[in-house]
Amino acid sequence: MDAVSETIITDQKPTQPTVDDPSLLTVILDLTPHGWFKIKHHITVQEVTKALLVFLNAHLSLNNSNQVAFIVCSPDGAKFLYPNPGKNFDGIQDNGSSKGETGNKSSNPNLVNTEMYRQFRIVDEAVLEELNEVLKSLSKSNSVNKTRSTLSGALSLALTYTNRMLNLDQSISTTTASAFNATTKSTSGTSNVTSSGSSASAVSTNYTSMLSRILVISANDDDDVKYIPIMNSMFAAQKMRLPIDVAKLGSISSSYLQQASDATNGIYLQVEKPEGLIQTLCTAFFIESSIRPLIILPSNSNVSYRASCFITGKSVDLGYVCSVCLCIMSIIPTDAKCPTCNSHFDKSILNQLQNSVVLSTKRRKIDSNGRDTPPV
Amino acid sequence: MDESDEDYVATNNGKAVVSDRDSSEDFSDSDSSILGDGVSKRTRSRGRSSGRQTRGGPMQSNLKGNSGGYSWEDEYQRTWDIVKDDDDGVGSLQTLVQTLIESRKKKIMKNPSTPFQRGIIRTMIVIIDGSEVMLERDLRPTRFSMMLSLLQEFILEFFDQNPISQMGIVMMRNGIAIRISDVSGSPQYHIDKIRQLKTKQHNRFEPKGDPSLQNSLELARSLLMYNFNNKVNDTQNSKEILIIFGALFTSDPGNIHKTIDNLVKDDIKIKIIGLAAQVAICEEIVRRTNSSKTSSSYINTNYGVIMNESHFKELLMDCVIPLPVSEDFEKKEKKGVPLIKMGFPSKIQPSVTSNSSINLNLPSICSCHPDEENDASHSKEAGEAGNGTYSSKKVIGYKCPQCLNKVCQLPTICPICGLMLILSTHLARSYHHLVPLEAYKEVPTMEEYESTYCYGCLLKFPSGRKNAQSDDANKIESLTSSRYRCGKCQQDFCIDCDVFIHETLHNCPGCENK
Repeated sequence: MDAVSETIITDQKPTQPTVDDPSLLTVILDLTPHGWFKIKHHITVQEVTKALLVFLNAHLSLNNSNQVAFIVCSPDGAKFLYPNPGKNFDGIQDNGSSKGETGNKSSNPNLVNTEMYRQFRIVDEAVLEELNEVLKSLSKSNSVNKTRSTLSGALSLALTYTNRMLNLDQSISTTTASAFNATTKSTSGTSNVTSSGSSASAVSTNYTSMLSRILVISANDDDDVKYIPIMNSMFAAQKMRLPIDVAKLGSISSSYLQQASDATNGIYLQVEKPEGLIQTLCTAFFIESSIRPLIILPSNSNVSYRASCFITGKSVDLGYVCSVCLCIMSIIPTDAKCPTCNSHFDKSILNQLQNSVVLSTKRRKIDSNGRDTPPV
Repeated sequence: MDESDEDYVATNNGKAVVSDRDSSEDFSDSDSSILGDGVSKRTRSRGRSSGRQTRGGPMQSNLKGNSGGYSWEDEYQRTWDIVKDDDDGVGSLQTLVQTLIESRKKKIMKNPSTPFQRGIIRTMIVIIDGSEVMLERDLRPTRFSMMLSLLQEFILEFFDQNPISQMGIVMMRNGIAIRISDVSGSPQYHIDKIRQLKTKQHNRFEPKGDPSLQNSLELARSLLMYNFNNKVNDTQNSKEILIIFGALFTSDPGNIHKTIDNLVKDDIKIKIIGLAAQVAICEEIVRRTNSSKTSSSYINTNYGVIMNESHFKELLMDCVIPLPVSEDFEKKEKKGVPLIKMGFPSKIQPSVTSNSSINLNLPSICSCHPDEENDASHSKEAGEAGNGTYSSKKVIGYKCPQCLNKVCQLPTICPICGLMLILSTHLARSYHHLVPLEAYKEVPTMEEYESTYCYGCLLKFPSGRKNAQSDDANKIESLTSSRYRCGKCQQDFCIDCDVFIHETLHNCPGCENK
């Protein structure tokens, strides 16, 4: 937690009275095996799951109408663990013992105490049971693309789910028809909602009555995630004012996740020693977005919004951009053609640019930043 | 007799004042009793009295609106929006409305899925009508303030989707054209200017007089041309004018057709949103500036007359999407597409040292606001929303890679060396215009469906139509399948996810997981 910035808080006006709105927490757990293998001496998936369950329960206990969702992404694809409308975890407590043999590790559904508070138990059982299945299928699947990350898919799922929870009604078992009713009310402004209770009308009229945030827990060090989908989901989250918090386990930081959390006002925390993950979760990541302005959060001061050259792959600070496909180049291609969309560049503009490059080389000696010199 | 009576009632209804309605109610009731049993008469009065009850009844009893506040704090409601169904046909109207909503959502979401070459770097001049007709109250509260509030949303959306574009605002008022805001790439600047227009007191720009299309078009043209002669990059920009036109006439000092000729010559594209009715000159402007071809589709997309508020918003938001580069322009452009030099500046961080207990982040002067440094406290008071961002803006800056001076906001053009400074994320924002997501196809209605839940949000789909003849009238399930399938990953989505994915997210969750 030495990443906590020592920024002096400018005198914040006492903001609007703290709202007690329910909040939705979506946890995305990246199960890409490669990353977990690297940190196997520090922490296992099992321990992380334990910590996460405590975290989820804590979130649920904050407010009676708080909601959680749990998504895993593995090389096989992203999947909702909770909520899972296909299975009924409500009536599981009777045959919980008979299902016990499915769990082989300590993350056994049996370990979820049947005396536990019902909401906790439903979530915990669902997550544990589904997680076991995902891990099993993961171990069975052929190891062709074990490093592939489907984080973008998981983020997209989280966003669509959040979008629904924010705009439509929140009960999981509703059909489209009743969801439409909610939308009809909100769009047409017909206000005969008095019958359906105050909560429904609050949802349909007030856009921000439900807070939400996404927590990504990833140990994946590879940066070969799909750039554009991640960026698209990041912008969507930004538009929905939905912070994406990131807990990156391991020693290597992920620049895309860093960008995502920075752009959405989320928290990015590099957890190099993840042994005490529960403490990190319950301190840094436990803060509702409504009280975030009042608290000094861990800041990520060195986010690099680097642009990388499409030809050389190096990061660029002074480059050229094709006006058709917006591809970034650090050098002017020798054949005067865009490498991505194959359109020819304007000769006169190329000449102009090349001339100005000659001029700027003189200046380059002064700043001596070790920039690669474009060809003249 | 009956007809004249109908007229009388209609005029009274048209006024739509509550007290008036009361008197008309009384009158017509007595009237119907005199008339005896005219069937149409009776149904009409019954229908109206029931309609009145929904509106007036509960409100007058305790002065409380449905949302809990007083009725005058409620949003304005039109009486014809609160149509209540008869008791016997409960489901029918609901079903109808729901199918309407679905088809409407489908229509809203008409993003083209074929990739076009689009003019990503746009310069748009918005010409707003500030003539006397804008004080009309057919849009609430007036046309003018409605337009301004929609325009604010439009500005935010425009710069969100087109981060490397620029905009300027011109107003037609009292026969002349007034420049409201200069061509600039900062959304906050434009919104501040719009906010000034909205002020109640000491407002120099209250709607007044006649509009002049020619004057404003000339001003917009010179703004566009001035902006381009300054810079090297002349051809890669798409030059656009958007006119929001409330009047049905224009009073011009000269020949507007000459102005149109010039606009065509300068390759400026014009879109017009009419607030009242179609005007022949507007149609001609749109037709001539948008394409050499005289196909009607061009007019339909570029000249729209609003039907209601939401349609107004729809038309306005259509202008957010960058225009495809026209074909003849491409042909003309045989010499090649331009290459733009851009700088990707690095962030200047206040030096954070871990061993010092306290670190003062002192603001430093940036080159883009050399004069606004001591205004910091002032503007903090003014805009409480931008409070945090404003103070951080002064500490965090970006360094131009060419001339190493500090600017505080991106994207911008370096005030010292004229280099375009952007972040890679700004480019990434525009990618989805270039690589649009394929539209989902509606699954035809069947008896059995493969999917029971929406892949994106886990919403339960209605089940298949088992016995079609028994309950097909009052169930939405029977009219649509409510499933929309991605052609690539074969996953089904609900309509809300469909709209959300195509409008906001721009990537398909199913395809990402494949």
